[in-house]
Amino acid sequence: MNDSLAIVAQGLTKSYGSVRALRGVHLEVKHGEIFGFLGPNGAGKTTTIRCMLDLIRPDGGTLRVLGLDPQAQALAVRARTGYLPGELRTYDDLTVEQALRHLNALRGNKADWSSVQALTRRLDLDVRPHIKYLSKGNKQKVGVAQALMHRPDLLLLDEPTAGLDPLVQREVLRLIAEAKSHGATVFFSSHVLSEVQEIAERVAIIRSGVVVEVAETSSLINRAMRRVSVRFEQPVEVTALAGIPGVKVLRQDEARSALLQVEGRMDGLIKALAAFPVSDFETERPSLEEVFLAYYQGERTEAK
Amino acid sequence: MKEIVRFTLARLRGQILGWGIAMLLLGVMSIPFYDGIVDQAEALDEMLKYFPPELMALFGDFSMASYVTPEGYLGLQYFDMMAILILGVFAILTGSGLIASDEENGRLDLILAHPVSRTALLAGRLLAFVAATLGILVLSWLGIVVPMEFTSMDLTWGEVALPFLSLFAELMLFGTMALLLSMLLPSRRAAASAAGFALIASYVLVALARMPSVGDVVKNAARLSPLTYYQSGQAIDGLNLGWFLGLLALSAILAALSAWLFQRRDIRVGGEGGWRLSLIR
Repeated sequence: MNDSLAIVAQGLTKSYGSVRALRGVHLEVKHGEIFGFLGPNGAGKTTTIRCMLDLIRPDGGTLRVLGLDPQAQALAVRARTGYLPGELRTYDDLTVEQALRHLNALRGNKADWSSVQALTRRLDLDVRPHIKYLSKGNKQKVGVAQALMHRPDLLLLDEPTAGLDPLVQREVLRLIAEAKSHGATVFFSSHVLSEVQEIAERVAIIRSGVVVEVAETSSLINRAMRRVSVRFEQPVEVTALAGIPGVKVLRQDEARSALLQVEGRMDGLIKALAAFPVSDFETERPSLEEVFLAYYQGERTEAK
Repeated sequence: MKEIVRFTLARLRGQILGWGIAMLLLGVMSIPFYDGIVDQAEALDEMLKYFPPELMALFGDFSMASYVTPEGYLGLQYFDMMAILILGVFAILTGSGLIASDEENGRLDLILAHPVSRTALLAGRLLAFVAATLGILVLSWLGIVVPMEFTSMDLTWGEVALPFLSLFAELMLFGTMALLLSMLLPSRRAAASAAGFALIASYVLVALARMPSVGDVVKNAARLSPLTYYQSGQAIDGLNLGWFLGLLALSAILAALSAWLFQRRDIRVGGEGGWRLSLIR
């Protein structure tokens, strides 16, 4: 097992009755990186995370978390891990402070209470109210605080910014970045692709229980289709451009401008455009969201 | 595990007080009538002659002479039915919810994401359940021994504690039975219902077996009923240690089986259903 890897999953499978939640997940997450785990509901994100904490047992495959077997060494894994579930559920009749103190006590009071207070202040979280009176966003802050408060080596975060207002979202992303700067590995699932794009160094895309892509976030975006808008000084016939491999004409306005879709390298298009009187040229990088959707559109096409 | 016991016990505080005070009041209301019953024994005995023999058979070898003894009075008025059925409900509800309640509410994921083993969680909660049960029984016991001082009951406080020990063993058995069922059945409610059925069925079976007219089949079946080994007020004359320890040993086996099952199955996400037998490996 490679020591530089914080999480290694090989051929991980898990079924719930006839539903195959994981169908051979392969993953490698390096120590100290922020790793985004993307996929729609039911793709297997939460199942994968729950296997890492030995909350559920995979049917097959191997899994190592921080070099440990989560089933055989569950306590050692959990002692070094901070977990934020997709939806925080705890005792509603406790105050925020009581809940955090209880969870801290389950870790042998590893977190110094003054640092917990500092964390709750950064999250703008009042520790006095009872959990049952908290909004969804404030409950999420409790979840973030309890996951981070003991400064874990590994953070497993299931939708960390769900329900938070934009200001607190920024603060949570800063906290995640700080955890990484202190050496922590961050594995987080999200639907908010812009934030994954912003902080994750690498992403995996999971589809129907299979990881279909693992790549550096930037390379995934660069590799994908991009849109090119070209304006010409005089009317031109752009049909020739459509013959370039990977290029598709999406729209042409009065023969003076064209919107193109380019898949892969730009080289062929740029060389072809050299023959035209180009007055303006703009490329638009796809967002991670578009990349992500492309994978799922591909799935639907395959299904048909 | 210390934190699990402390926290669980703190959460059971309301139940300890609620059930304990209710039982204490039951004792306070029952005991002062003892002297009046003794005084009216002859008249009551006369009245009992007009009761249907079938009804009297349900009380086994009941006689007014035995009823007016402290053991008989405490047995019939307090331990035979009220204490075992009322506190049986407590034991079953608490036992079935020790793990399943948090699991059904989706709280177990967060707890078990901490460095707490499943065995330690279950053991810690069981210890808290034992402590809570003892707390309720101590309050119940006080509800008998304190008013007893103002009657002619000639019993020591220690003697009165003996039927509570027998009751404690039964409560442990039904509590751990409910816990085990919560590991096997799809919901806490199903586990509590099944254990509640077992308690009532056991009670009825033992009552039927006391009737002279029933056949050997019922009497033999009653031997399998946990309540056959419940001494009620008779424990005042001497606790049957074999029965007491046997019930506790059986409870320990049920608890160990629960831990074994809990260790081997998936933790359900809140709201997730399905029979758990398929999740055991």
